[in-house]
Amino acid sequence: MKKLKKHSRLPWWLVKKIPRTQDAFTTREILKSHKLRTVCESARCPNMWECFSRKRATFMILGNVCTRNCLFCSVKHGSPEGVDRQEPLRIADAVKKLELKHVVITSVTRDDLSDGGAGHFAAVIKQIRGNCPDVVIEVLTPDFKGESGSLDKILEVNPDIFNHNLETVLRLYRKIKPQADYLTSLEVLKYVKKCDHTVYTKSGIMVGLGEKFEEVENIFDDLKEHGCDILTVGQYLRPSESNLEVEEYILPEQFKRFEELARLKGFKYVQAGPFVRSSYNADRLVS
Amino acid sequence: MVEVVIPELGDGVEKAKVSFWHYEEGDQVEKNADLVEVATDKATFNIPAPESGIVTQLNFKEDDDVEVGEVIALIDDTHDEFELSNEENVENEY
Repeated sequence: MKKLKKHSRLPWWLVKKIPRTQDAFTTREILKSHKLRTVCESARCPNMWECFSRKRATFMILGNVCTRNCLFCSVKHGSPEGVDRQEPLRIADAVKKLELKHVVITSVTRDDLSDGGAGHFAAVIKQIRGNCPDVVIEVLTPDFKGESGSLDKILEVNPDIFNHNLETVLRLYRKIKPQADYLTSLEVLKYVKKCDHTVYTKSGIMVGLGEKFEEVENIFDDLKEHGCDILTVGQYLRPSESNLEVEEYILPEQFKRFEELARLKGFKYVQAGPFVRSSYNADRLVS
Repeated sequence: MVEVVIPELGDGVEKAKVSFWHYEEGDQVEKNADLVEVATDKATFNIPAPESGIVTQLNFKEDDDVEVGEVIALIDDTHDEFELSNEENVENEY
């Protein structure tokens, strides 16, 4: 007989069920055999097994060492290795084997590369298009320091969705993303939309880091003014003891309010919830 | 006998803490029912029973640390449902 539940370490709405299906193991096996990294694993995402069970994964290219040190993130920080020129081939093959209809490609930040790794993003997109011409391709990129030349390299190969996360409100940037700049990120989205109005622009933020409701509303306004079409809002969860502590566990009702507010502001697609991450259910969001 | 194993929970996550057993040894559990809640630094997970059966062995207590890949419980899935339901009926008569 099932026991009566005691309290959990986290609130009840933040307890995630791990589905253990054959498809989940198949996804894991394909990723391993193709020597591919996913942000699902690198960021210790609580949705990992759920997404794997739906044969979904977000590929993380350009290695697993980041040149920046954002305090919310568990990806390793340091001097990255060289670019793996075979990676586009392996990703395209995995996309085919997983029979993906929607693929999300992200990367660590590579400030050590002259183009920030944009050329490699383009190579991955081209290779996937060659193997699977009908697949929807979403990129989730770093800011490339706002360099238009880097952004152009990606836009030239026509991704369907261009995602760049703001992550947090303006006031918390210095504390949480000390090597990034709020306005540069907004300008990235604006530039992308200006160059190609057919591409969907997308961004995401985490809440629970100490931001105020008004600040969240401001970020929605800023994103909208800079041409952002799609918005995701999720709960920040601390990946390890060396990362920032959670300031607040946002109630599910509050996420509903954020979602309603974002729709009122005019975003085309919005997803807000405790377990929402920028690529969570990405295929469902715009299908 | 079916083993319940702690799955991989992300890069660098080598262990988790058992926070709550939803069932005790001897209980009947249905496939996919939440069996145990475990917590990592980042998240809290419910691990479901991989098969229906009798929980025969819980290898860890609540608040114990367990390593990824460790067998934390055993489920005997060889009882048929008819036998289980009869046992339940007998228990209910007392």
